[in-house]
Amino acid sequence: MKPRILIIEDDRKMSEALVVGLQEAGYDMDTAASGEEGFYLAHKQRPDLLLLDLTLPHRNGLEILKQLRAEGIDMRVLILTSHNTVEDRVEGLRAGADDYLGKPFSFPELLARIDALLRRVLPPTEANTYGIGDLSLDTKARTAARKGEMLDLTPREFDLLLYFVQNRGRIVSREMLARDVWRETSRFTPIDNVIDVQIARLRKKIDDPFPVKLLQTVRGLGFCLREPS
Amino acid sequence: MKRFTPTNLRSRLTSWYVAVLALLLLVYATIVFAFQYAVLTRQMLHDEIQDVVTVEGLLYFDSFGKLQLRQDYFSRPQSHLLVDRYMEVRDRADNVLFSSPTLHGMRLGGPSYQGEGDRDFAERIVRLDDGSHVFVVSHVHGMDDRTLLIRLGYSLAPLRDRMWQFLLLLLIAIPVALALAAIAGQTIAKRALRPVDDMTDRATQITATNLHDRLLIANPDDELGRMATAFNHLLSRLEAAFQQLGRFTSDAAHELRTPLASIRTMGEVALSREMDANSRRVVEDILEETSRLSGTVDSLLLLSRVEATGATGQFEKFQLCDLLNEITALLALMMEESRVSLELSCDTNIFVQADRSLMRVALLNVTHNAWKFSPSDSTIRVVCRRVESSAMAEVVIEDEGEGLSPEDREKVFERFYTGTATSQSQKGAGLGLSISKLVVERFGGSIEFNSEYKSGARCVIHLPALK
Repeated sequence: MKPRILIIEDDRKMSEALVVGLQEAGYDMDTAASGEEGFYLAHKQRPDLLLLDLTLPHRNGLEILKQLRAEGIDMRVLILTSHNTVEDRVEGLRAGADDYLGKPFSFPELLARIDALLRRVLPPTEANTYGIGDLSLDTKARTAARKGEMLDLTPREFDLLLYFVQNRGRIVSREMLARDVWRETSRFTPIDNVIDVQIARLRKKIDDPFPVKLLQTVRGLGFCLREPS
Repeated sequence: MKRFTPTNLRSRLTSWYVAVLALLLLVYATIVFAFQYAVLTRQMLHDEIQDVVTVEGLLYFDSFGKLQLRQDYFSRPQSHLLVDRYMEVRDRADNVLFSSPTLHGMRLGGPSYQGEGDRDFAERIVRLDDGSHVFVVSHVHGMDDRTLLIRLGYSLAPLRDRMWQFLLLLLIAIPVALALAAIAGQTIAKRALRPVDDMTDRATQITATNLHDRLLIANPDDELGRMATAFNHLLSRLEAAFQQLGRFTSDAAHELRTPLASIRTMGEVALSREMDANSRRVVEDILEETSRLSGTVDSLLLLSRVEATGATGQFEKFQLCDLLNEITALLALMMEESRVSLELSCDTNIFVQADRSLMRVALLNVTHNAWKFSPSDSTIRVVCRRVESSAMAEVVIEDEGEGLSPEDREKVFERFYTGTATSQSQKGAGLGLSISKLVVERFGGSIEFNSEYKSGARCVIHLPALK
């Protein structure tokens, strides 16, 4: 059975785009444009995950969340909001949200978060070795090899590659890299420059000497480590 | 010649006050003087007329037909003043028939003129041969079928002496009075203006960051109270405007984020589906521009956040050198790639108290900016040291790029200013350095591009350092 996601979002275009994208990613979708409708659907449909916009007409998203939690309704909740400050984030998590994504977000990241919340992917820390194609990583020794050849990577390059391997086959956005690899709180111009340079360096080491290119740039979206089909 | 204009209000008030008082005293003195002169002259005329009438009764022709004055009359003590009088009697043919001894043979006035003293007592001032002035009354008097012209005068010297003394007294008294008035005026003005000084002190403390403070109003009904009230109203409006502006920026940024988020999601969802290469390129371009726009909106939000940040909040203390190390480590790879070396020389004993993440953005922007303008194989030098003469830490970031023109040196800190030197790909929204400036100034520092440095751009940042 496909996981069911309910989107409570008053911006119709955003909501439509999410429905299309998430359906394609293999979810069943419901949408509500107002808090009341969303609350009703959450009750009735019992979706597996709720995508909640905080700035809704008539009723604030946080109120809905608090009420759902107060009634003991158990579902994953991911907040989507343009009020993206630390305070808002804390308030949202305190109200019972499982995750928080500031608008504008990258769609690949939303997919990754949803997958993580619905446990469709394994938590990345459990394995010691990762691999994709002829590329393999040992997280204990912090070494990487391709076709048995050891790759000489800096610590940052290793972290970056590990992140790609953990998200293999998925598109990884710059926001994700900035936050998860560089531990920056937000994406900004200098970090974008740094990411581009670092990716180019990594690509030189893991792809340039080999005929099959694994690390791809997906223009407009980010990067993806995958075996070309 | 430069006019004397005292700079402070108190002295100016006092000088005006003294000047007006001086003018009033002068007018007053002139009027009193003139009035006194006129009264005394009238008095003299009156006395002289009395005297002439008296004298008329005392004149007689002796047995030789010579005009005589009965002297026994003057033995009366109350008339002793009359000894000072000058008298002359003429007949119609202008022959002098009698001349008082006090005249010592001098004539009391020139020849008689037509109608002199005919009907009335004619008065005039006559100058004697010895130079003294005499106030003379003429009167025609018929006696023993003869018509006599009696001229009687008093010397003006005693009167003039008296007036002169009076004038001297005024001339001494007026400056003394003015001096006293100046001292009093200065004291009064000082007392009256003390609330203004208090208000000035208070107003000086009120800056853009603590606009919620107000002036204290001692008495709301007097002029100063009304002024303070008006000033407080102004402050309230200013505060409201500032808040509105801050809210506007953040509201606008949020409102921009919503459609941006939709555009981005729509584009990204579209890209994840099958589409022809041309359409794909269009969507990719749209997404790239959206990303730039997002960056600008984020910067605007950051600016409004900094503007809303008070400088006196509870902020962590951190080592400036750590922060600089962090920044240079982050940028090291880019530097290496474009063959720009970065030299950091840092005094490890400098701590500042500020919002670390904001300060990081501020310093990162400046360093990143230096990198943007650095040619290959050049060096960026970052120096952090304590300024010995003050409690300030100094961070100098200099590059070997083309440097800044004098007009750019100021403008680079303006919002949305993008210079002409950068290539399109490196061009940001032009908010980076304005964020740096706002952050540095918000935490009590200063930032500027050094104008004496010729070989590149040199940014000098001063921050209050902890002891």
